Amino acid sequence: MSTITDSMNTIHSLEELADGNTIIHRLHPLVKLITTLLYLVLVISFNQYDVTGLMVFAFYPVILMALGEIPYKPLLKRLLIALPFSFFAGISNIIFNQNLAFMVGGIPITYGLISFVSIMVKTVFTVMAVMILISTTSLPQISYQLLYIKVPKIIVEQIMLTYRYISVLLEQVSNMYTAYILRAPDAKGIKMKDMGIFVGQLLLKSFDRAENIYYAMKCRGYDGHYLYAKPDRIKKSDWIYLLVTCAILIVLRFFNLSQFIGSFL
Amino acid sequence: MHMADALLSPAVGGIMLAASAGAVAYSAYKCKDDLDEKKIPLMGVMGAVIFAGQMINFTIPGTGSSGHIGGGILLAALLGPFPAFLTITAVLLIQALFFADGGLLALGANIWNMGFYACLLIYPLVFKPIVKKGLTPTRITVASIVSVVLALSLGAFSVVLETLASGITALPFATFVTLMMPIHLAIGLIEGIVTGGILVFVYKMRPELLESSLENKKLPKDISIQKVLGVLLIFAVVVGGGLSLFASANPDGLEWAMERVAGTTELETSGDVYGNAGEIQEATAILPDYGFKDGDGSAVGTSVSGIVGGGITLLLAGGVGYLIYAVKRKKEKEA
Repeated sequence: MSTITDSMNTIHSLEELADGNTIIHRLHPLVKLITTLLYLVLVISFNQYDVTGLMVFAFYPVILMALGEIPYKPLLKRLLIALPFSFFAGISNIIFNQNLAFMVGGIPITYGLISFVSIMVKTVFTVMAVMILISTTSLPQISYQLLYIKVPKIIVEQIMLTYRYISVLLEQVSNMYTAYILRAPDAKGIKMKDMGIFVGQLLLKSFDRAENIYYAMKCRGYDGHYLYAKPDRIKKSDWIYLLVTCAILIVLRFFNLSQFIGSFL
Repeated sequence: MHMADALLSPAVGGIMLAASAGAVAYSAYKCKDDLDEKKIPLMGVMGAVIFAGQMINFTIPGTGSSGHIGGGILLAALLGPFPAFLTITAVLLIQALFFADGGLLALGANIWNMGFYACLLIYPLVFKPIVKKGLTPTRITVASIVSVVLALSLGAFSVVLETLASGITALPFATFVTLMMPIHLAIGLIEGIVTGGILVFVYKMRPELLESSLENKKLPKDISIQKVLGVLLIFAVVVGGGLSLFASANPDGLEWAMERVAGTTELETSGDVYGNAGEIQEATAILPDYGFKDGDGSAVGTSVSGIVGGGITLLLAGGVGYLIYAVKRKKEKEA
């Protein structure tokens, strides 16, 4: 079952990446979280016909990927997953909005086409920004920051526990699936009528597993509360990164560099 | 059904984040009150089960296609509505971060569409009343199918509304709805049958699991939760509707905000630097009159010169990236 192996590989490779030690990795997680969110807001705030202004925002992912030594291939693979729905929405714009914007050497460029390009570019940028965040910051680090900004403890614990057990459960499902397929060689997947028993078994096993985990936690002093190490302080260099990056991003939002460069031609 | 960031406007994304954050905060508050500590690891493991479970493809007889489970109603039936909602939230966040399955800003919309309706609306208002008279396999199956179909339809309809309110797609409302609803109705039916099958199996093997989750989450006075849900819904509709009107008249939320603050959408450009730059620009420009100043296309900001400029910008960005790589590699070699 390729999707399961795929997701296991994805998690492992992202964890390995997040373990790196570059300028970007060393930045304070909260700083990275804030700049990523600002970047996302600014990118999606662009008018759907303003493709040229948007292009400038390519600098952010490219520079961060270079500084953070993030390989391109796995990122592109993730992009492919996010693209289809945007592609569908974008294509419909081409079909439904055929107002002519301008001509390029006899080829009519419609507003629909422009907005299609804009949606695709936005998709690429937003997905890249999130992937860069998770490739340079581990999930536990992000979770601690969520606590810091007063996200309720219980939801943070949920994120951490779910994340911890995803690989365990994926492996279990993978084993169960193999066992099933070995006994049903012609089947392309689980038969729908067997799904109740299949997932039901998985659930029962998981209830038992959760109980054992609870006892194991209890033995180690769990009393309904997680204990956390104090998160790192925000250093001076983090502040500088935060202020400079935010300032640059905001300036780029309102100053159309593409148009400026184009105007010299 | 996971929505991507690129299909949302900041206003819609922000409203949905606020609405979902409210629902999460309320659920966390409810769980704090009456959640036994044993349930915390259970919720975590169940989140992982849903995550892994969504990857099990099952074959749909007679169609040749395959489907997967969603999990909202299933979780609510096993854990109770509030823990289930928190669990779904955690799963969606992890999917957004690690798998680009739904965006980070779109997380609010996704939590709302896939978690809120199933766990906090349909489960207490539809699923529970059906099985209230006593658990039987038939009741569980019927409740599952009806609930999943309703939850999924509401979710799909919200996707339509959120996308249209964002003003990103040119798809007419009617077309969008006819594209989305029938397919999600069919998916809901299949998913509902499977969810029913799973719950019936669990009920037969370990009836106490379902019974305890039904009894023990004494929904604190049904009236109060309905009130809260009602308020949340009205809030979302009013604010969403109001802001989307603005959004459609002023497609660019930031520019709208700026106009409010500065009285103009253009930043004032005064002083020598701007003047000189403007002069140089005019003197050196081959395609000086880019925009569509007299037409209605001024918002486009796209033209041949703009496209070329955009291309150069991309090349520049790529060049900078390459340069950093090259310098880093050189440094590593020297070290």
